[in-house]
Amino acid sequence: MEDTSNDASSLAIEVSRDRQQRPMLEITGLRKRFGAVEVLRDVSLAVRPGEVVVVIGPSGSGKTTLLRCTNLLEEYEHGTIMIDGEPIGYRIDGRSGRRVRMSEREIARAREQIGMVFQSFNLFPHMNVLENIVAAPVRVKRVERRQAEVRARELLAMVGLSDKAAEHPIRLSGGQQQRVAIARALAMDPKIMLFDEVTSALDPELVGEVLAAMQQLASDGMTMVVVTHEMSFARDIADRIVFMDDGVIVEEGKPDQLLFAPQTERVRAFLKRYNDRYRI
Amino acid sequence: MKEFGPLIHSFWYLLRGAGMTVLMATSAVVPATILGVTLSLLQVFGGRLLRSAILGYLFLMRGVPLLVLLTFVYYLMPLTGIDLPPFWGVVLVISLYYAAFISEVFRAGILSLPQAQWDAARSLGMTRGLLLQIVILPQALRLAAPPYVSLCVSLVKATSLVSIVGLWELTMASREVVERTLAPFQIFIGAAAIYFCICYTLALYGRHLERRVLLGH
Amino acid sequence: MTGTVPFDPHFIARLIPALLEGAAVTVELALLTMAICLVWGLLVALANGVRGPLGWVAGGYIQLVRNTPLLIQLYLVYFGFSMTGFGLSGFASGLLALCVQNGGYVAEIYRGGLQSVSIRQFEAGRALGMRRWTLYTTVILPQVVARVIPPLTNQSIAIIKDTSQVAAIAVMEIMKITEVWVETSANTYDVFLGAALIYLALTSIAGLVGKLTERRLAFAQ
Repeated sequence: MEDTSNDASSLAIEVSRDRQQRPMLEITGLRKRFGAVEVLRDVSLAVRPGEVVVVIGPSGSGKTTLLRCTNLLEEYEHGTIMIDGEPIGYRIDGRSGRRVRMSEREIARAREQIGMVFQSFNLFPHMNVLENIVAAPVRVKRVERRQAEVRARELLAMVGLSDKAAEHPIRLSGGQQQRVAIARALAMDPKIMLFDEVTSALDPELVGEVLAAMQQLASDGMTMVVVTHEMSFARDIADRIVFMDDGVIVEEGKPDQLLFAPQTERVRAFLKRYNDRYRI
Repeated sequence: MKEFGPLIHSFWYLLRGAGMTVLMATSAVVPATILGVTLSLLQVFGGRLLRSAILGYLFLMRGVPLLVLLTFVYYLMPLTGIDLPPFWGVVLVISLYYAAFISEVFRAGILSLPQAQWDAARSLGMTRGLLLQIVILPQALRLAAPPYVSLCVSLVKATSLVSIVGLWELTMASREVVERTLAPFQIFIGAAAIYFCICYTLALYGRHLERRVLLGH
Repeated sequence: MTGTVPFDPHFIARLIPALLEGAAVTVELALLTMAICLVWGLLVALANGVRGPLGWVAGGYIQLVRNTPLLIQLYLVYFGFSMTGFGLSGFASGLLALCVQNGGYVAEIYRGGLQSVSIRQFEAGRALGMRRWTLYTTVILPQVVARVIPPLTNQSIAIIKDTSQVAAIAVMEIMKITEVWVETSANTYDVFLGAALIYLALTSIAGLVGKLTERRLAFAQ
C-alpha cells in the first residue's frame, strides 16, 4: 500500500477506512478444469469483513472446488484470490505481469489466515482433542505451548466441549468432532473461516450443535464462507446467499430475497426440488 | 525319548546358531526399514524419473528369488575385489531385498489415509515436512506396523537361505549336526522348534498390533 | 575383471536350453504346488473353522508352517524320509514341503477372503429367505472368490520363487542349473542374468494371469 501522507493520525484513519472497505476475500475470474471438464467457469466473489456468505447449489456445481481453490488445496488455471488484500496461491509478477505460483512456504503462511473445516475425517486420530488444537499454533506459529493450551481451552469452552480435552477423536460423536475441528481452525486466529458441507456427514440429531457453534462464530463477527445443504440454517446465518450451478454463480442476494423470490429459473427449480423434499 | 538324545546333546550348538540367526536378522532389518521407508516416501513425492527407477527396483526384487540374489553376490564378491566379509555381504542383500517389500507396505499405509488428513493439515498452514512429521507418518507407521511385523518374520526365516551359500547360522548348524549324528528328524525338528519360538513370538506381537490398529489406536 | 567373459554368443546358445530345461521343472513344481494347495488349503481352512480338536490341529498346523523356514521343512522331508528307508526323490520332497507350507498360507488367504465379506451380505440373504446352501453358493462364494484372487496371485508368485530353494536338495530346476553352470564356466554374469530373466518372466506371467482372472470374474458378477 502506498503511503500518501506523513501524518500518522490521518494515515491511521485512511488505513481503517480501507480495511472496512477492502474485501476480506476477493476472488476474481476463477477458472478451473478437471481434465476435460470445466468445473469453475469465471467465478468472481467478494466477501466483506464480518460478512457471512452461504453458497448453495446442486452437486457438481463447483461449490466445494471454489472453497478448496481459496486456500489452494486445488490448483486453478486462471484468476486471482486475495485475502485481506494479499494474494494467495498465485500472484501477478510486478515486472512481467505474468501469473506466478507462490512458493510452498508463502502459501503455507497465507493458509494460516484461512481456517477450514471439512466434511469428515478432519481431526488427527492419533492425537487427543487438546493436542489436535495446539499442534498447529505450537508447530507452525511457534506459540509457546502453555499459552496455546490456555487458548485451546478457551476455544473448547466456546464450542461447549471443555470436558473433552483429553479424549481421542474416536470417542467423540460426529457433532463433537466437528466442533473440535472448528475450535482447531480458530486456534490459528484466522481472518476468514471456510466451511465445506460440515454437517452433511452427520446424523441429523448432531447437526444442531454444530450449526449453533457456527451461529455463535457469525455473531462474534467472523468472516465466513459456508457451503451447505441446510436451507433453514442458510436463511438464519447468511448475510448473503450465493447460488452456483455448473461452475458459475447464477444468482446472489439476501437470504429472504433469493430463497423466496428468486429471479432466475434455475434457482427456482432447485429450490422447488428442495422444498418438495424438505418443506423449508 | 532317548531317540532325541542327539538333539539334546547338540541343543546348545543349535542355540548358538540361533543367536547368529537373530544377529543376522537384526542387522538386516535396520537398513531394510530405513531404506524401505525412504523409498516409500520417494515414491509418493518423487518425480517421474525417480518413481520409474524405484518401480524397476521393486519389480526386480519382487520377481527374482532371494536365493538367486544371494548366490549371485556370493560368486560376484571375489571377482569385484571388494573386501567385504561374507556376513555383511548377505546382510546387504537381504536388506536390499526386504527394503522393497517394506516400502510397499509403508506406501500402502500412507496412501490409505483419507485425503482430509492432508487437507486439514495443509489448511492449518503446515508445510509438507511438518505435516509428514506430525500427521501423516505417525498414522502411516501405525497402520503399516502389522504387515511390517509379518515381513520381519519372513526375514528371519529367509536367513536360513544363507546356509546354502555357506554361511553359518541355525540351519547350517543343524546340517552340521545331522551330518555328524545322522539323526535328521530329531535335529531338524529341533531347529524348526527354535525358529518357531522366534517367529511365533514376533507373529503374536504383530497380531497384538493389528488389534490395536483395528480399535483405532 | 578376471573370470568373466560376458556376452559370448556361443555360450549363451548352450546356456539357454539348459536354463529352459530347468524352467520346465520349476514350472511343473510350481503348478503342481498351486493346484494341490488350492484344494488342500481349502480343506485346512474349513478344518480351522471347526470348533474342537480338529480346529486346534488345523490352527496349529497353520502356525507351524508359517513360522518355520521352508528350507528346514525341505531338509526335514528329504533327509528325514531317506533315513526311514522310504526315500523320496528331490522333486517329490520339494513338492511335499512346498505343499505343506503353502497349504497353510492358502488356508489363511481363504479365511481372510471369507472374513472380508460383510456380515450384511449374510443378513441380506437370510432376510430374503435363503437357506444356507443357496446363500453360500449364490451370494457369499462369488464374492469370496473375487477377493481371494489377488492374494492367491501373490502367493503363486511366492511359490515360483520358493521353488529355487529345492536346489538345496539337488533338484535340477533353474537355481540348481545356474549353480552348476556358474561353477563350471567363466561367464558368471550371463548365467545369473539368464536365470533372473527367466524368473522375472515366470513371475510376470503369473501376475498377468492373476489380473486377467480377476477381470474375467468381475464380469461374471
